[in-house]
Amino acid sequence: MSFLKAFQYKRRNSLIHRLDPRSKFLLSLVLMTFSIVFIDIRVLIAILTLQLFLIGLARALKEWVYSLRGLIFFIIIIFITQLLFGGTLFMGIVLSIRLIVLSSSMSWFFLSSTPEDIGRAMSSARFPIELTFSFVMAIRFIPVIYNEFQSIYDAQRSRGLELEKGGFRTKVRNLMPILIPLLVGTIRRTYEIADAMEVRAFGASPKRTSYKLLKFKKGDYFLCLVSAILASAIIYLKIFLGLE
Amino acid sequence: MKNMVEITVENLFFKYPDAEKYALKNINFTIKEGESIAILGENGAGKTTLAKNLNGLLKPTKGSVKIDGVDTRNLSVAKIARKIGFVCHNPDHQFFAETVEEEIKFGLKNFGFTENEIEKSLLDVLKTFGLEEYRHKSPFQLSGGEKKRLAIASIIVWRPELLILDEPTIGMDYAQRLNIQNVLKNLVSEGKSIIVITHDVDFAVSLCRRAIVLSGGEIVGDGCLRKLLSNPEVIEKASLRKPFLIELEEEIGFSVIDEDFDSISESLIRVFDKCHS
Repeated sequence: MSFLKAFQYKRRNSLIHRLDPRSKFLLSLVLMTFSIVFIDIRVLIAILTLQLFLIGLARALKEWVYSLRGLIFFIIIIFITQLLFGGTLFMGIVLSIRLIVLSSSMSWFFLSSTPEDIGRAMSSARFPIELTFSFVMAIRFIPVIYNEFQSIYDAQRSRGLELEKGGFRTKVRNLMPILIPLLVGTIRRTYEIADAMEVRAFGASPKRTSYKLLKFKKGDYFLCLVSAILASAIIYLKIFLGLE
Repeated sequence: MKNMVEITVENLFFKYPDAEKYALKNINFTIKEGESIAILGENGAGKTTLAKNLNGLLKPTKGSVKIDGVDTRNLSVAKIARKIGFVCHNPDHQFFAETVEEEIKFGLKNFGFTENEIEKSLLDVLKTFGLEEYRHKSPFQLSGGEKKRLAIASIIVWRPELLILDEPTIGMDYAQRLNIQNVLKNLVSEGKSIIVITHDVDFAVSLCRRAIVLSGGEIVGDGCLRKLLSNPEVIEKASLRKPFLIELEEEIGFSVIDEDFDSISESLIRVFDKCHS
């Protein structure tokens, strides 16, 4: 679950934090497209370098490094499948970097944007309030669910549960005492929150006003320009240079 | 490890991975066989963090926690759990089985008890906690108080030498609270040790002789519970209140409870006799 730390907002006073979430999201999408479209290690490393620069500017390198621990499991699976299905070690490395780039594309955005700002950005894009609110709640509850997972894990370990022991099947079976309470708790909380919102008149008024409005600044226009250049680079590299 | 349990905490400092400040600072104490201890303190004082350090769920950042002389860093949580049971404050965090029976059996199976032992222990604990009628019911269908009883029952069932209970009386009515109190008293009389983390000072007074009072991650008092709860400075630091019995003592001007707490009811009879005379 530690990879979730990379998607949890960290309050910092940085240049990236002060940017509009819409311009950051645009750049995130472009960076993500790079990781989906290209498998060339040079492109992936270049994008990863840019992402590290952005994460560094957001002063969230520590959280990013911490989140890599959560990706280790998936990286191991990549290497195993490569070895089992005739792939090469080099391809394993390339796909692992691709996974890190894909994860980092969104992590710098979520690390530096408050759930409220993301909600405002969605509202300004005319998403329905129900969808916006659900999305914001989902982000806001990542740390809550993470803490609950930890508490449940502790409670079961106190009853002698050992996740590390046994083969793959046993390990999967041993996850049930953790996943079931987590799922039940999450569903129960969903109903409780829905009730709590209804008793506070959520959805009673079709017209909603916002206390704070998002406004593009110079930095946001610059970020949009960078996004446009990178999007053009994708088209150029893929169509005109035929890069894989 | 032996059949009794002794915990030694030496210069314990603990800091959570993302935190800047220590959650526990310079904690030192020893817990001996058969002790009944209340861990008291304000919200965020570090009570649960301390308990999790005692049963190995958390390992000290500095200093050490030793169980029968062995550092918890060298013991698995499962090995410690066999001797030190921990009942977490939210029972919903541990229920996953289809029935109450399966929920209680879970720990016994993990510790490798035989079928006969499991059946016997199950029946004993169902009876003790008044859960017989719920045996085949889903744990998720129980009320708050019943869930709490089941959570305690599913730990007590393997008879750990020391039992740590995090807020055991939350959500319980008076009768259920009394039932838990009696079960825990019986455990103490059998020579087992108990540690109760609670804000319920009346419950603590009825059960424990010793208190460890925490404030801001540090121990502000360790000793006789009654004396600590009579100390205004400790009470203020830990955001506690005086227990009813101690207030009564101050009101009538003499002690209603013996130092050893053996019989609260006898002491109360003495009060009434005194009042009548």
